[in-house]
Amino acid sequence: MTAPVLTTQRMTLRRPEPHDLEPFVAFCATERSRWIGGPAPREDAWEGFALNLGHWELLGFGYFHAELTATGEPVGRIGLRQPEGKPEPEVAFSIYTDEMEGKGLATEAACACRDWAFGAVGLPTLVSYIDPANARSQAVARRMGATRDPDAARWPSHSTLEVWRHPKPEVVQ
Amino acid sequence: MSPTLATERLILRRPAPRDYEGFKAFAMSDRASGIGGPFPERTAWRVFCAELGHWTLLGYGMWAVTRKGDDTAIGLIGPWTPADWPETEVGWTIWRAEDEGTGIAAEAARAAVDHAYRELGWDTVVSYVGNDNDRSAALAEKLGAVLDPDAPQPKPDEPCRVYRHPRPEARV
Repeated sequence: MTAPVLTTQRMTLRRPEPHDLEPFVAFCATERSRWIGGPAPREDAWEGFALNLGHWELLGFGYFHAELTATGEPVGRIGLRQPEGKPEPEVAFSIYTDEMEGKGLATEAACACRDWAFGAVGLPTLVSYIDPANARSQAVARRMGATRDPDAARWPSHSTLEVWRHPKPEVVQ
Repeated sequence: MSPTLATERLILRRPAPRDYEGFKAFAMSDRASGIGGPFPERTAWRVFCAELGHWTLLGYGMWAVTRKGDDTAIGLIGPWTPADWPETEVGWTIWRAEDEGTGIAAEAARAAVDHAYRELGWDTVVSYVGNDNDRSAALAEKLGAVLDPDAPQPKPDEPCRVYRHPRPEARV
């Protein structure tokens, strides 16, 4: 599968390239990365970035680098993840900076990823694993039409995260 | 285009998704103790992803070692320089016991060290060897590398042996 470029109203989402590392390193150094295990030093960010590149190569999908189409400013990493041990594929989203927050960008990008997941990728199901204390991510999931699925298998290594299930696009209201 | 190295018996090529199963079997076995294993499946997967991503990020990385005429990977050997490494390393893993003692690791590692000095232009090449990993230390010594007790440690809280490789033209 060739990595596509997804375009939304305001953003371009593409498979990350080496030069996209720095905005991710900067994000990992801030408190904003707490929901993905940060703040983390550069070496951990580097490893996470390398891991995502390998994820793309192994599975044909992964986190996209999302940027504003108009200016090229980095927005965040948003995409599809299914490392071994994760019961179901996930759509996950991190917005890098406070300035990009609160504009609906995470929802806009994540919806494009969801549609790609159910469409071209052909994933049978899609969830998001979200910390019960992470209200902002829950709000994104809710706006996407996802609902908590208390019966779904939790991610064993991150068992405190709740599972939010995304309906297939044709049943999104 | 990623470089491929050929030695007398071996082809060293960029690792690919098809090499994962062999790597996973190694990483989850006791043979991975030299690199901090055995690992759970989840970690094996992450480490392999990072091996692939290292290539994409830097344009080089550890090669999948294959025998001429058989594309099956039997180990990973080559340059490894994650962001927290104090110096430029050539590392090695041979995945199955039956490939030990054949001189394959030395043959591949020698080519990798030469490539690091001559093609990558590295100023120095080290190999980080676990204190319990005598087989790996023996390989380093076979390659002419010398223990450098003053070298910076990659993981200061888990000290290891640091071997420094001579430049190819200085090798005796």
